[in-house]
Amino acid sequence: MKATDSLATREQAARELLARYVRVVDDPDRIEEWPDLFADQAEYRVVTRENLEAGLPVCVVCDDTKDRIVDRVTVIREFWGAGGRLEDRHYNQVRPRHVVGPVWTEPQDDGTVRVLANFAVWGTPAGDFYPRLLAVGEYRDVVEFGPQGPRFRSKWVVLDTPVLQDVFVYPL
Amino acid sequence: MASVLPRTVQGPPVPLRWPPEDNRIPREIFTDPDLFRWEMDAVFTGPVWVLVGHEAEIPQPGDYKTLSVGAVPVIVVRDAQGQVRVLVNACAHRGARLVEGPRGNVLKGGFRCIYHMWTYAPDGSLLGVSLPDDFPAEFRKEDYGLPQARVALYKGLIFASFHEGTPPLDTYLAELTEGLDRVLGDGRLRYLGSIKVIFRTNWKLYVENIYDGYHVTALHTGFQVVRLRSHGGQRLVPNYERNGHLWGQSRSTPREQLEPVLRDMTLFDVRTKPTTDHNMMVVFPSGVVTDYFDTLQLRYVLPLAVDQTLIEFTFFARADDPEEVVRHRVRQGPAVLGPAGAITLEDAAALERVQQSSVARGDNVVLKGTPKRFPPYRHVDEAPIRHFYQAYRRLIGVPVEEGSS
Ligand code: FES
Ligand SMILES: [Fe+2]
Repeated sequence: MKATDSLATREQAARELLARYVRVVDDPDRIEEWPDLFADQAEYRVVTRENLEAGLPVCVVCDDTKDRIVDRVTVIREFWGAGGRLEDRHYNQVRPRHVVGPVWTEPQDDGTVRVLANFAVWGTPAGDFYPRLLAVGEYRDVVEFGPQGPRFRSKWVVLDTPVLQDVFVYPL
Repeated sequence: MASVLPRTVQGPPVPLRWPPEDNRIPREIFTDPDLFRWEMDAVFTGPVWVLVGHEAEIPQPGDYKTLSVGAVPVIVVRDAQGQVRVLVNACAHRGARLVEGPRGNVLKGGFRCIYHMWTYAPDGSLLGVSLPDDFPAEFRKEDYGLPQARVALYKGLIFASFHEGTPPLDTYLAELTEGLDRVLGDGRLRYLGSIKVIFRTNWKLYVENIYDGYHVTALHTGFQVVRLRSHGGQRLVPNYERNGHLWGQSRSTPREQLEPVLRDMTLFDVRTKPTTDHNMMVVFPSGVVTDYFDTLQLRYVLPLAVDQTLIEFTFFARADDPEEVVRHRVRQGPAVLGPAGAITLEDAAALERVQQSSVARGDNVVLKGTPKRFPPYRHVDEAPIRHFYQAYRRLIGVPVEEGSS
């Protein structure tokens, strides 16, 4: 296999990882699979463009270790899930739906692939008549390729909206 | 004494139904658009001090930020002399919004209106207008400065009032200053950033929730999952005879004794305080100040519509915190109290449900702790909510009748 082929394969694999990510975060029953999409040393951050451009450190979500990424699932299932009593869940039932725009991949010299993509996330609440636009922005991801296949080394969710339209439960 | 700004409506919508018992809250007050308009005048530009920021957010001359006082858009700015001002964010000519973005610096150039290029200094005075030939002869720039709120500072907290009759800030805050001192220390803070989110709820429901100690164990089950409890505490209502602020105090289980349900339990660390005592305060009507765990946070409650409220969470470190402490605060703050925080989301869900059913008519009832008539209350009581509404009712002109209970 020529070097260019493996490059193309890596880029394709990075795109598929992003597609898998969307399948997982849009399905409340599959949230346990979400941490597996990240490398053992990884970060997941949700930041507003406003804070980012002002150089302010506060993030909406700052999961800067794999432990914190795993903990997010525990918070969703245990903290907000009323200890697993699903019918008593303490967050309103909102079905998330990601719409991810053109995906742009840039292979890096260190073997990783940088992935950029636009996204919009809609939430359809069980208790309301109208879908809600939760967030609009851009993914800035780095995908690495180890023995376990392609995984996110970092995923930055950069929000265009300085004002979140709602609290959100599942990862963006 | 009157509001600095003209009123937009003459009085409360009549008849406004209010049950005689002070622990019953008519649901209409969360859905009535006429009452909402009246509140924007009578409460937010009434005789109150509205929390609009901390000096650390605008440290340099010319630094500004925008938000609103009730419905009135304002610019909070440090002028060239270093004085903090709160200016109405509307051009004195034909009303165009002067500043679009949330924050910036205008030391050079001032505030320039895009519509006809009038320019204002950071202190709100009109510097110049474009092409003033054929203006009326009596036109004087001095008459067209931006309307300003009165401003008072406490430990760096910036308060604005559009009313001439508001008592001095110290009198207004009363014993709440003791709690503010505990949280703010010498008042020298470092601003770390803010997160804004829309709650689908009336602003009063958001505020009364903080007075409510009853929901804490019932709703916030995450506390139980890690076996985090309150080991005593109380709910004080400083100045309850006038304004009814809230000062909730609690002492929580130290991290070492928690159930290590999370891999990273630093979420519950208390590294910057000698004990695990927390303070949660409401400066009536719409400011929140807290030092929960190691999180130094101010919140500004900004009513958008009768059923929508913008909450701005602002996060701080102490001015001379070492970088690793700053990093800890950044990791902890929004993870606990913010739009994706472990605790906030549950409040949002509950409040949205209360809002949705406020059209069901009838009254919401406050019970727990109410056999006691006056503070201090237990930290698990909801009784302090009564005092919030007593203060509110005085402002909107529907005071509680004497002798009712
Ligand atoms: S509206 Fe601002 S200059 Fe005319
Ligand atoms: Fe709460």
